[in-house]
Amino acid sequence: MAGMGSGPDHLFNLRNTFYLGAYQTAINNSEIPNLSPEDAVERDCLVFRSYIALGSYQLVISEIDEAAATPLQAVKLLAMYLSSPDNKESTISSVKEWLADSTIGNNAILRLIAGTIFMHEEDYNEALKHTHAGGTMDLHALNVQIFIKMHRSDYAEKQLRVMQQYDEDHTLTQLATAWLNLAVGGSKIQEAYLIFQDFSERYPMTCLVLNSKAVCCMQMGNFDEAESLLLEALNKDAKDPETLANLVVCSLHVGKSSSRYLSQLKLSHPEHVLVKRVSSAEDNFERALQSIA
Amino acid sequence: MNFETSSNQVRGLSFHPKRPWILSSLHTGVIQLWDYRMATLIDTFEEHDGPVRGVHFHHSQPLFVSGGDDYKIKVWNYKTHKCLFTLLGHLDYIRTVQFHHECPWITVRVWDIAPLRKNNTPPADEDDIMGLTQMNSDPFDATVKYVLEGHDRGVNWAAFHPTLPLIVSGADDRKVKLWRTNETKAWEVDTLRGHSSNVSSVMFHAKHDLIVSNSEDKSIRVWDATKRTEIKTFRRENDRFWILAAHPETNLLAAGHDSGLIVFKLERERPAFALSGDSLLYAKDGFLRRYEYSTQKDSQVIPIQRRTPDSSPSLNQSPPPRTLSYSPTENAVLISSDLDGGSYELYIIPKDRSEDAKRGTGGGSAVFIARNRFAVLDKSTGQEEVVVVLVVKNLKNEVVKKIPLPIPTTDAIFYAGTGTLLCRCEDKVVTFDLTQRLVLGEVHTPSVRHVVWWSNDMESVALLSKHTIILASKKLALLCTLHETTTRVKRGAWDDDNGVFIYTTSNHVKYCLPNGDSGIIRTLDVPIYVTKVSGDKIFCLDRDGKNREITVNASEYMFKLALMGKRFDHVARMIKSSRISGQAMKGFPEVALHFVEEEEGDERVRFNLAIESGNMSVAVASATNINEEDYWYRLGVEALRRGGNSGIVEFAYQQTRNFERLSFLYLITGNLEKLSKLMKLKKGVMGQFHNALYMGDVKERVKILENAGLLPLAYITASVHGLEDIAERLSIALGDDVPSLPQGKTHSLLMPPIPVVCGGDWPLLRVMKGIFEGGLESANEEDDVEEGDWGDALAEEEEEDGEEEGEGSGWEGLELPLQLDTPKVSAFMTPSQGMAVSQIWSQESLLAAEQAAAGSFDTAMRLLNRQLGIKNFAPLKSMLLDLLIGSQSYLPAFSSSPVVPLAVERGWSESSSRGPPALVYELSQQEEKLKSGYKATTSGKDENLTEAVRLFRSILHTIPLLVVESRTEVEEVKELVTIVKEYILGLKMELKRRETRDDPVRQQELAAYFTHCNLQPPHLRLALFSAMGVCYRARNLATAYNFAKRLLETNPTESQAKTARQIVQAAGRNMTDATELNYDFRNPFVICGSTYVPIYRGQKDVSCPYCTARFVPSQEGNICAICDLAVIGAEASGLLCSPSQVR
Repeated sequence: MAGMGSGPDHLFNLRNTFYLGAYQTAINNSEIPNLSPEDAVERDCLVFRSYIALGSYQLVISEIDEAAATPLQAVKLLAMYLSSPDNKESTISSVKEWLADSTIGNNAILRLIAGTIFMHEEDYNEALKHTHAGGTMDLHALNVQIFIKMHRSDYAEKQLRVMQQYDEDHTLTQLATAWLNLAVGGSKIQEAYLIFQDFSERYPMTCLVLNSKAVCCMQMGNFDEAESLLLEALNKDAKDPETLANLVVCSLHVGKSSSRYLSQLKLSHPEHVLVKRVSSAEDNFERALQSIA
Repeated sequence: MNFETSSNQVRGLSFHPKRPWILSSLHTGVIQLWDYRMATLIDTFEEHDGPVRGVHFHHSQPLFVSGGDDYKIKVWNYKTHKCLFTLLGHLDYIRTVQFHHECPWITVRVWDIAPLRKNNTPPADEDDIMGLTQMNSDPFDATVKYVLEGHDRGVNWAAFHPTLPLIVSGADDRKVKLWRTNETKAWEVDTLRGHSSNVSSVMFHAKHDLIVSNSEDKSIRVWDATKRTEIKTFRRENDRFWILAAHPETNLLAAGHDSGLIVFKLERERPAFALSGDSLLYAKDGFLRRYEYSTQKDSQVIPIQRRTPDSSPSLNQSPPPRTLSYSPTENAVLISSDLDGGSYELYIIPKDRSEDAKRGTGGGSAVFIARNRFAVLDKSTGQEEVVVVLVVKNLKNEVVKKIPLPIPTTDAIFYAGTGTLLCRCEDKVVTFDLTQRLVLGEVHTPSVRHVVWWSNDMESVALLSKHTIILASKKLALLCTLHETTTRVKRGAWDDDNGVFIYTTSNHVKYCLPNGDSGIIRTLDVPIYVTKVSGDKIFCLDRDGKNREITVNASEYMFKLALMGKRFDHVARMIKSSRISGQAMKGFPEVALHFVEEEEGDERVRFNLAIESGNMSVAVASATNINEEDYWYRLGVEALRRGGNSGIVEFAYQQTRNFERLSFLYLITGNLEKLSKLMKLKKGVMGQFHNALYMGDVKERVKILENAGLLPLAYITASVHGLEDIAERLSIALGDDVPSLPQGKTHSLLMPPIPVVCGGDWPLLRVMKGIFEGGLESANEEDDVEEGDWGDALAEEEEEDGEEEGEGSGWEGLELPLQLDTPKVSAFMTPSQGMAVSQIWSQESLLAAEQAAAGSFDTAMRLLNRQLGIKNFAPLKSMLLDLLIGSQSYLPAFSSSPVVPLAVERGWSESSSRGPPALVYELSQQEEKLKSGYKATTSGKDENLTEAVRLFRSILHTIPLLVVESRTEVEEVKELVTIVKEYILGLKMELKRRETRDDPVRQQELAAYFTHCNLQPPHLRLALFSAMGVCYRARNLATAYNFAKRLLETNPTESQAKTARQIVQAAGRNMTDATELNYDFRNPFVICGSTYVPIYRGQKDVSCPYCTARFVPSQEGNICAICDLAVIGAEASGLLCSPSQVR
C-alpha cells in the first residue's frame, strides 16, 4: 500500500479518479513526474485498468509486453479474460498457474485480478481463497463486494472495519461503506446516498457516481430523481450498461416504457445481468405455465 | 476597539446621539470633533483657555456646550463653527456641562471646593442651573438629597444607574463604590477594589449588567455589577485615563487618556452565522436561531449558552460565538468562541423538538470539513512549546485522526470545500487538502477574518480582512484585491446568480466584480452584516442580531456584468429603460455612446461620450449639430491631442475662426498652400506677419511691415535678407532714420520646418483593444496559474513509501482480524452463501405480485390460479417480467468486477428496515387508465371504443398483480374491478351492435342491454340516447318511449333532452313495438358476458371468479370473455392484493 506515510501521496488523485469511474480522466492525468519505480508500476496498473474499464482490451494486451512487471502482467490477464469468451479458460488456467508460483503468487495486484476473474466466474470460494487476506485497500474493497454478492453482509462488515481502521476517509472505504449500506438496506440507504452526494460535490460527476446515487434514490422509492440522474449519466455515456439497466428499472417505476433501453442493453451488452435475468425469467414463465396446466 | 486618536490629554467626551461623531475636549483648551467611523478629524474649536473638562452635544440641535477651567461656559454651533455665546459667572473650574433633554437648560457642575468633604454630588444633582434662552423662574431649587459618605479621598465621578436606584462613584482612594438609594436615604452597597491609582470616571453600562471604570493607573476595568467582581482589564502602556463616556443609543463607549481617546465596545456585535440553502443559522442571546429567507420565519432552534450552574446569563460568562459552522445533512452545528483561549461546542440538533441537543465540547476552534467530520485547530501545550495540530473528529466528538499543519503558525482555519481547509497564518492564507495533505494554493493577505464562498460552485472565494477584500479562485489564484482605506469591511455575500460579491463596510453597501471593479450601492446609517444576496435583495443581520431585508438598486453592477459578459441585449435594455446613472457608465464610454446614438439622446451627452471614447467622427457630427464655440474648441483640442485627426482640427478651427491656431496647424502639418491662402485673408497685421514668417516669405513680411508703417523694421528685414532693391527703396523713404544693422552677427533666412508628414492625418496605430479583452486575458492567466500549481504540487511530493515496505505505513501495525501473512486456504473457510433478498421475499409473501418480483413465477401463477381462478397467463407475461425487472437495481462497484444487483424495496422510510419488493404497478396508475378509458368512451368512435376496451382490460390485467397497503384501498381495487367489468361488457356489446348492421332486432337488443350496464351518468345518457334512437328508427316506439323517459331522468344535455321529449311525444301517441325484442326492462336481469343475452332473475348462471362477470351456464370452463384471464365457474378464494388482508 503505497503512500501510506505522512508525506504527500503522488497517486492520490489518480487513484481517486479511477475508483470513482472517471477512467478517461485518469488516463489523461497519468503523466506524473518524479514517481518512484513502485509508484510508476502502480500508476501504469491504474492506467491499464482504466483502459480495461473503458473496454479497450486489445490496447492493454498489445501494450503490455513480456518484460513488464508482474502487476502489469496480471492486468493483462484481466484484459484477456474480458476480451473474449474464448479466452476465458486459458486465462483462468494461467491465473491459477501464476498464483501457484511462490515468487509472484502473493502479489497484491495478481490476487486482485484473480479475485475479479473468479467473481466473474461466480466462483466466490476460489476468489476469496486469494483475496480474503487483504493487504491493500483494493483487495479489501473487492472482498466487501464479494461478500455482498454472497449476501453475507456480516463478513462484508468485518472487511469494512479493517478498511476503516486503516483510513476511514479513504475513497474506497467510503465507497465500500456505501455499498454495504445499500446491501443492508433500510435506514442505511440514506447514509449511502450522502456518501455519494459527498463524492459528487467533491469530484466531477461520473456515470459510476450518478448510477450509485440513482440506485440509492430507487432504494428510497424516489424514482423521479433517480430517472433524472440516470438520464444525466446517459448523456455522459449512452452505452454504459449499468445506466441502461437502471433506466429500464426506473422507467418501469415511473410508468414509462422501458423497452427501448432494454433493447439497447440487449444489443450492446447481451451478457448483462439484467438481460440474462429477463431471459431466464421467460423460461421460468414457460415452465410454470406447463406445471399449472 | 473601534477607533483611536492621538492628541493632547483628553478631559471631556461626548457622543453625538445620531451621527458617528464624538467631541473630545483637551487639556489644552481645544475641542475636537471626530468622526469615529471614518476615523477623521472633522473640526476643532479653540476659544477656551486652559483645560476643558465638560462637553456635551445637544440631542437635537446642531449645538454643543463646553465648560472649562477658565470658568467659562460656551455654547457652540458646530455647523457654523461659531461660539454662539459665553456664560460667565462661575467662580471655579467647570467640571461637567450638560444640556437638559427637554428644557433649554444647561446643567453645570462646578469644581468641588472642598474635595475632602467626602461628599458626593452626582452630576444631575444640580448645583447650578442657568437658563439658556429664558431664565427659569426658580433656577436655584436644587437641594441636596443625599450625602454619600464613604470615600476616603476626593470623589472624581459618580453616575446613576439608568433604571435602578443605584449610584456608582469613583474616587482618589482608588475605590469604586456602589450605592443604593430609596426615598429617604442612601447607603453603600459594596466597594470594588482593584485600581491602583485615582479612579477618574465610572459608569453603569447601559445594556448589560456591568460597571465600567477607568483610572489614572492606565487601565479600564469592567466589573460585574451583580457579583461585584472584576471581569476584564484593558491597559495602556503610558496613558492615564481621565474620562469615560457612553453612547446614548448604541453600546459604544469612549475613554479619554493622556494622549488621545479610544472608542470601543465591550462585546462583539458581529453575529456568528452560517448559511444553509434557504436558511440562516445564527447565534443570538444564547440561542441558536434559524431564519428562513423565503418565508422570513425566524425561530429558535436550541439553547447554546454554555454556563456553570449558578451563573447569571450575562455576556461575560461565555464570550459571544465567533464562528458558526453547520452541516446541514447531519443537522450539526459547531460554535467556536474565544472562551479559554479558543474552544468549540458541537451540537446535534434533534429532529424532535422535545429532545435535547447532543453536545460536545473541546478546545480550539472547529470547522466542518465534511458532512460528518470536522477539523479542530488544537493548540495543545507540549512539553516546551505550543504545538498546533489539526484534529479531525467525527460527530461523536471522537478523534479520527491528527494531521500536522502545513504551516505551523496557522492561527485560524476556515472551510474550503469538503476535505479542504483554508489555513490562516501570519500574512497569508493557504488551502490545504486534508486527505492528500497537500497545500493547493496560497495567497498573501492581511489577517483574514471571514471567508465567503460563492455558493454556486465554490469556484470563487472572498477573503475579508479588516480593510481588504481579496477575491480569489478555489485554488487561491488571486482575482483581485480591494482596499477600503478609511472604513472597515464588515461582512459580505456573493450574488449567486451573477458572481458579484456584495459587502458592507461601516457605512456603505458595496459591490465588487471579479475583475476588481467596485462601487457603492448605497449608504448605511448603521453597520449591517450581509448574510445573503438574492436578486436586488440583500439580507443581513443588524447589530442587534435582527434579520433585515434591504432592496437595493443593483443596476450598476448588473450593467457592468452585462458588459463583461458581452450580453449587449441586456446592456441595451438597461440603457433604454435608463436605469443606469451616469456613474455606472463611467469607464465604458464607447459602449454608452453606441447606445446613446440609437436614441434621440441629448446631443451634448453624445458629444461628451464621443470625446471620452475617442470616436472623432461621431464627435464631429455631434459638434456640427451643437455648433457652439466651446464644443468646437474642445473638439479641436481633443483632435489635436489624438494627433491623427488634423482634418478635424482644421475643421474645428475654421468653424471657430481661430486663425492663429489654424495657421500654426498648417505650419506644423506643412500645408503651405493653405497657409499662404490664410495669409492673404488679411485678418489682422499680426496674423499676416506670423503667416509670412511661417511661410518664410520675406518679401511678404517686408510688405506687411511697410504697410503697417513700420519702415525701419521693414528696412532691416529687407537688408538682412539681401533684398537690396527694396532696402534701397526703403532707405530712401526713411531718409536719415535708416537704422544701423547690428554688427558681427550673421544672418540667415528663416524657413518653415519641413514637416514629417505633409497634410492628411497622422498614421495611428490602431489597437483594437476593447474593454472586454481584459477579462479574457485574465481568464487565461488563471489557467496558467493552475497549471503552475499542478507542477508545484507534484514537485513537492518527493518521497513515497514503496508498496508494503514503508515502516510508517500504518498497515503493518494493524491487527487484522484475518491473518495477513499466511494466506493459506486452510486458514480461511469461505462462508456459505447468504440468503438473497428475493429469497426472503418469496418465502414471506402470499401476494402474487411480490412473488413475481422475487422471480418466483411459478408460485405467483399458482397463487393467481388459486385466488382468482386465472388460467390464461399469456396476458400477464409481460407484467410479471416487468415486476421482476423492477425489483432489482444495479450498483456499479469495483472497476471491471461484476455489477452488484440490489433488491429494490417498497415503502422505504428513514426508520424502516428491510421491506417487501418495490412493485412497478400502482393503484393510482390504474385510476389514470380508468380516466383515459372514460374519455375514450365519451369520444365514442369505433376506434375510441376499442381503445377504451383495451385500457379497461389492461386495468383488469394489472389488478391481480397490484399490491395496496390499506383495507380501504383493497375495497377501492375491488370496486374498480366491478366498474371496469361493466364497461368492458357494455363497450363490447356496443361494438358488436355497430358490427351487426343487417340485424336490426339484435342491434336494438344490444343497445338496450348496454343501457343496463353500470355506467357513469354521461355514458349512460349516451347509451340511452343511442338505444332510444335505434328503437325509434325501428318503430319500436314503446321501447323508445321507455328509453326517452329514462334519459330525461338522467339530467341530460339540452339537445339530448329535446330529442327525448320529441320521442316521448311521438311515441306517447302510439305505444307499440314493431318487432319483439328479447328485452324486458321490468324484469331485472344480468347480461351474459359471452353471448350477450339477458339472464333474468331466477335463471341459472355461472360467473367469473375474478371479474365477477356473469355467463350462461354453457360457458362454464371457458376463459372469461371479459377479463380474458380466469376460468368461468372455477373455484377461487378471492382477490388478495394487500398485506393487510393477510394479517
